[in-house]
Amino acid sequence: MVSPILLIVVPLGLAFAVPLLERISKKLVGYVPVLAMAFNLVLSVVLLRRAVSEPIIVHTGSWQPPFSIHLVAGPLGLLLAALIALIGLGVAVYAMSTIREGATRLYHVLYILLLTGATGIVLTGDLFNLFVFFEILCISSYALVAYRGDRAGIESATKYLIQGAIGSSLALIGIGILYGMFGTLSMADIAQHIHSVAPFGLFMALALLITGFGVEAAIFPLNAWLPDAHSSAPSPISAILSGIAIKVGIYAVARIIFTLYGLETVFLFVAVLGLLTLLIGEMSAFSQNNIKRLLAYSSIGQVGLILFALGIASVTGVTGALFLVVSHGLAKSVLFLSVGVMITRTGSAEISSLDGMGKRMPLSALCFTIGAFSLIGLPPFVGFAAKFTVVRAVFEQTSTLFTVLIGVALLGTVVEAAYFFRIVQRLYFKPPPEGSLDHAGRGQEAPLSALIPIGILTVVIIVAGVYPGLFSSFLEPAATDLLDKAVYIRHVLGG
Amino acid sequence: MRKLISLVVLLVIVTGIGVSLVVTPFGAEEAEWEPPSRRERVNFGRYYVHEGLEETGATNIVTSVVVGYRGLDTLGEVTVLFIAATGLAAVLHAAAKKPVGSDRKPASLVVFTGCRFLFPLILLFGTYVFVHGHLTPGGGFQGGAVVASAFLLVILGCRGRRLNEETLSLAESLSGLVFVVAGLIGLVVGGAFLLDFLPRGTPYLLFSAGIIPIIYIAIAFKVGSELGAIIDKLSGSPG
Amino acid sequence: MTFLYDYVHYAGCFALVLIGLYAVLVKTNLIKVIIGIGLIDTGVNLFLVTTGYIRAGTAPIFSEAAAQGETMVDPVPQALVLTAIVIGVSVLALALSLAIRLYRHYGTLDLRKIKELKW
Repeated sequence: MVSPILLIVVPLGLAFAVPLLERISKKLVGYVPVLAMAFNLVLSVVLLRRAVSEPIIVHTGSWQPPFSIHLVAGPLGLLLAALIALIGLGVAVYAMSTIREGATRLYHVLYILLLTGATGIVLTGDLFNLFVFFEILCISSYALVAYRGDRAGIESATKYLIQGAIGSSLALIGIGILYGMFGTLSMADIAQHIHSVAPFGLFMALALLITGFGVEAAIFPLNAWLPDAHSSAPSPISAILSGIAIKVGIYAVARIIFTLYGLETVFLFVAVLGLLTLLIGEMSAFSQNNIKRLLAYSSIGQVGLILFALGIASVTGVTGALFLVVSHGLAKSVLFLSVGVMITRTGSAEISSLDGMGKRMPLSALCFTIGAFSLIGLPPFVGFAAKFTVVRAVFEQTSTLFTVLIGVALLGTVVEAAYFFRIVQRLYFKPPPEGSLDHAGRGQEAPLSALIPIGILTVVIIVAGVYPGLFSSFLEPAATDLLDKAVYIRHVLGG
Repeated sequence: MRKLISLVVLLVIVTGIGVSLVVTPFGAEEAEWEPPSRRERVNFGRYYVHEGLEETGATNIVTSVVVGYRGLDTLGEVTVLFIAATGLAAVLHAAAKKPVGSDRKPASLVVFTGCRFLFPLILLFGTYVFVHGHLTPGGGFQGGAVVASAFLLVILGCRGRRLNEETLSLAESLSGLVFVVAGLIGLVVGGAFLLDFLPRGTPYLLFSAGIIPIIYIAIAFKVGSELGAIIDKLSGSPG
Repeated sequence: MTFLYDYVHYAGCFALVLIGLYAVLVKTNLIKVIIGIGLIDTGVNLFLVTTGYIRAGTAPIFSEAAAQGETMVDPVPQALVLTAIVIGVSVLALALSLAIRLYRHYGTLDLRKIKELKW
């Protein structure tokens, strides 16, 4: 009865019911995403403990695999589902108080559906089902980026939509080629028979699939939409897009590369691509004046680092990549949410308007600082444990090429530290502009309902940093889940 | 410059895809049927064609695949349409509104009469298509699209008649909930989401194939009301 | 020539995809770009259905008149295409609504003029 499929179906049902609930009470609508995400969080944590030893396979309609669509709720899937639920819950509580204009009911419906799509992607074991949930994610994010209806929002949503639509069509061609060659759509089944076909068609399908899913994952040449979209969206949506949507895109790419294909030669290509993405992201972020654009470029950089860690393809490497996914998701959400309250207060998104925030909005500035330090990788926070795992993975490798590459990656970290320290200095050491403090020298803090979720996520960052064992006991099995093709096939198809 | 880069990109894609098509067989020969346990490679199509009628009870095999075997995909697809209708409403919500039909000539008498005559006939045809989805070609999506085209006819031809948005939104939500609840009942009763919990019945009859007709009718209502709402919003209705 | 006969179906699908891709990459009017996206979707769906063809097969629907043992084409790509068509329609509907808002803001649909966001 308690089955991972409820993680997808319950939020879906609640989203369908929202227009009906609105007739009963308008205020109730804001609580529905909170309810859905709280349910998801509890259920995924409960199932995660069960799934560490053996993934839970769910057959829909009780047809035999591989003829049915099956969900594979392994440690990796449930870990990511829990992360989605946690960040989704925080941002939903934040949005209850900050999204006031426009048709708020429509915002909440789209928001739940975006998270449902993301949860569906990480849990499914069928290739076309992956595509359908991926489209749910993409289309709701196109609509949410355009939610505010201003010039910048509509323009970036249009560009995002055009690039995303081309990417999805290319991915669909790849799926068609795979179906034509294998006659099946179940990922475990394709993985089992991958070596029995001529390699050229496989290569073409792989290229199309990586390009298609890579548009959403913001891999190097395909990320032209990201700075515009993430900076023009409303702040809670920027947090979700940077924290969850790109990670789920990377999960799709990783699942295809590791479980479906499992080819050694692709890994080096992925690592180099990750490095290029990292450098371009960090360098562009350095010269930005708009705080949200800076955070968007920093997301591109971190995605590059995650790809690089995936390219190392050892258990420690993939564990490091997953750790980075968790820590960046938490840190970037905290950053975007705290920046959101600051922008609402000052009305401007320029970095220069953040002067003296340390005095005007002390709690928000503190959370921003902690998020920034965790992103750079400073010790008592979870970002440090994540980056340390990646570096350790590189040194476990014997190839000197990787040692050189990690040097280049750490250069990216230095650039990151440079621009974040510059901002933190502005927060605390520059005097606030005239008239923004009252008589007692205090500013106006953000409303409590916005502060609580930021605070909780910040506390998770600190706790996970001090006690990394909280996450790492789940990360190692998750990494093996991704890497070990034979085990995956055995669990799904039953030996 | 941009045109040159685009043409180079196109050329690369053409050669790549073109060469790869050599490996995808076209028009495979129908081999002898063997039960799954004895075969090396699984082939979905042949399994569904041979076992589909007994296992689901629907004579239209495509329907049994869409609603029965791959029901979760259909749920996702219905969700995508819901997102499109909702997103469209959100994007067009605050748009500056011109009064409807202010610069349009009203439809002539011939068109107006023709539309009023045709509207119930098109609705009837659409209903036939989706109710018989498990027996003949057609189904929820196709029938829903035909019903939506009847709505489009009303907007275009009947002078100033508009659709009732409240009813459309209500129909949309209720039919979506029917689909989800049907799946959940399957979960509670049999332990698998979207389990077929109604009796299969004899094939070729209207009341057969378990829950497939029910789900298809729900899908048809949802698709019809959603496409109707999309058309209504795009044609500039206020509010 | 027989080689070409086998692949003329695939060639047709890809010609559609390429025409659509050309329209998206090269044209500057937003409506033409949206039409291009629609063409790409059509071409891809056609490709999916074509992979399911079985020689001398008919539609996978049983009827009382026909015998049970007829060869039928693969029903799975048809189910996939059903889903893909609906997804394509949804994307087009959203794109058109964005085009309406964009026109209200900028007064033009020329993509070269809609460049408010800089590097």
